[in-house]
Amino acid sequence: MELFLDLYGFLSVVLRSLALIARSVTIGSLAYLLLLAGPLAARFQPQEAALMLDSARRVALAAGWATLGTTLLAVGLGTIALMGSLDVGLGPALGAGFVLSGAGVMGFTVLAMLALAPGGAPRGPRAGLLAVAGLGMLASAVAGSHAMAREDARAPMLAATALHQLGAALWLGGLPAFLAALRLPWAPAAAQAVGTRYSALAAAGVLCIIGGIIGFYLGYIGSPEGLYGTAYGAMSLTKSVLMGFLLLLGLGNFLLLHHFARGQAGSVLPRVRRFVECEVITGICVFGIAASLTSVPPAVDLPDDRVEWHEIVERFTPQAPRLISPDHRDLAIPNLQEQLNAEYQARQAPDRPQAFIPGEGLLPPRNAFDLAWSEYNHNIAGFIVLAVGLAALLDATRRVPLARHWPLLFMGLAAFLFLRSDPEAWPMGEISFLDSLRDPEALQHKLLSFLVVIFAVSEWLVRLSGKRTAAAFVFPLSMAAGGFLLLAHTHAIANIREALLVELSHLPLGAASVIAACARWVELRSEPESWLARLGRWTWPACLIFISLILIFYREA
Amino acid sequence: MPQMSRRAVMAAPVLLAVPAAIPEAQAHAILRRSEPAAGATVPPGPLRIRIFFNSRIDHERSQILVAPARRGGGGTADEVRVELEPGMPVTEMAGTTQPLTPGAWRFRWQVLALDGHITRGDVFFTVAG
Repeated sequence: MELFLDLYGFLSVVLRSLALIARSVTIGSLAYLLLLAGPLAARFQPQEAALMLDSARRVALAAGWATLGTTLLAVGLGTIALMGSLDVGLGPALGAGFVLSGAGVMGFTVLAMLALAPGGAPRGPRAGLLAVAGLGMLASAVAGSHAMAREDARAPMLAATALHQLGAALWLGGLPAFLAALRLPWAPAAAQAVGTRYSALAAAGVLCIIGGIIGFYLGYIGSPEGLYGTAYGAMSLTKSVLMGFLLLLGLGNFLLLHHFARGQAGSVLPRVRRFVECEVITGICVFGIAASLTSVPPAVDLPDDRVEWHEIVERFTPQAPRLISPDHRDLAIPNLQEQLNAEYQARQAPDRPQAFIPGEGLLPPRNAFDLAWSEYNHNIAGFIVLAVGLAALLDATRRVPLARHWPLLFMGLAAFLFLRSDPEAWPMGEISFLDSLRDPEALQHKLLSFLVVIFAVSEWLVRLSGKRTAAAFVFPLSMAAGGFLLLAHTHAIANIREALLVELSHLPLGAASVIAACARWVELRSEPESWLARLGRWTWPACLIFISLILIFYREA
Repeated sequence: MPQMSRRAVMAAPVLLAVPAAIPEAQAHAILRRSEPAAGATVPPGPLRIRIFFNSRIDHERSQILVAPARRGGGGTADEVRVELEPGMPVTEMAGTTQPLTPGAWRFRWQVLALDGHITRGDVFFTVAG
């Protein structure tokens, strides 16, 4: 139980992300079936109609199962946390609002899956059932949202939340069903007809999202200062940047689908698929931020102690990077660990109630050496990433054979991260490797190091073979996973200024990782010398160099 | 919207959170102010504790525990649960303690907001001799 609760803060954000993604895809697939596949089926040949309906139905059913699994897990873990922290039995815990909200989502999901069972075009009562199920899932989720807990303006915020989630479902949630349709073995013209109609659905979704954003800005952020001066605002801003990137991809699709004659569909559709795949990758990360946003209070609730604009300017004005490491013996962290260990031992006494809060919410005491340690880590990592980015750019020219070994530089980064990111833990500190994993932050660092190793080895092998094997996709997927972790990690629930200033530098890193992942994905999935592949080949090294510059000039004071 | 007191913000680092997992829930209940406020000195005897939050809370799944102050620890064995007053506004909770003797005390609040997040925190105060 202790270990579970220690990890719970991080797990809950990841679970919320997964549940949000699964639910949005379920609702989006239902909308896709009702508003796109159903009406189009009447215009298609029977065989094409059956293919389209069946592929959308399969996506909706798979998403339904995923919704049931992730929601059950999320509600179950939340219930255990409530029981453990409040010292109550299962009965009282099951009456909590979030349990009822989750039960509603699951109940309507089951209804949708039952209505999907027969197959064929949804018509009459079955179409009505699917609509009720989709709207019921949405309403249940909104009933458990933060809008429900607002003291003022609850109704408008509930409406904004519903609008926002509906828009996300229509656009991003419908992407898997759309992608499945694009991959069907049918005439390109039919796929293009689906794409044209999906564009309209996505455009309606974007309008709903924008409506929701306006509501969130007025109700949760309130002012430009709230946008950059609080964690909620900064994360919303990052989410908006990624949404902008998604809109660019969507616009690319729109232009491809609407401005090419039907006869050219065969050459256009592969490009559309590439864009849609990138939209899926980015969409997953956007949902990650959305779920992470749930762990911070809205900006309007934190009117004091915000970060000022001049502090941001001062912090992000480049200064000489730190090239000499402070001495490990000077760090305050081992001292803190002694204190934490004593507290942990005290909590094990039999007469104590169950301990349940990870990290006790207290920021560790930090001194100048701690800051120097962290800055040095970031700055040196930045130089390694810069070397990688430049080598990858050289490799992109195809004129320097040696440059194809650039992935090996990442092994140095992995070793550096593993050794230095948690100085209180093995091998530099007293805490054993396994014990250090109880700290969610240390766990995230180790996961990131592991991801880098996987990526480096697989990418190097790919470069040596010169083939586009499945291993080639480890790079974009690792970058996307890294971006997701950076964007969806746990946050301090209050406005801790220093934490926010650190956050402000990590959010662009996450966004750049996602864009780099998309660029590499496009490069791999396009014809080798097509303009799209070339665009991707030059974009992701540029993203790496952008990331390296943030790291090289990273400061914590 | 009432201004969150400076003390409440200063107490922010001791807010303790276990985010309950519900899909698309947002944020936590945070303490706007309390009576007594953090660092306050109160006379001996029974003490009415009243806490104001930024969110609607589930009173049935929220609690106040009072105990002699022991900084840096989790819950303590001598914690006493304060019976909550019924009929409080949706963003407040209150209850009256048993008579408190002079010394350093703290109360620990824990609330389940209607968005499904559990939040808790400690407020330290002194009972005058």
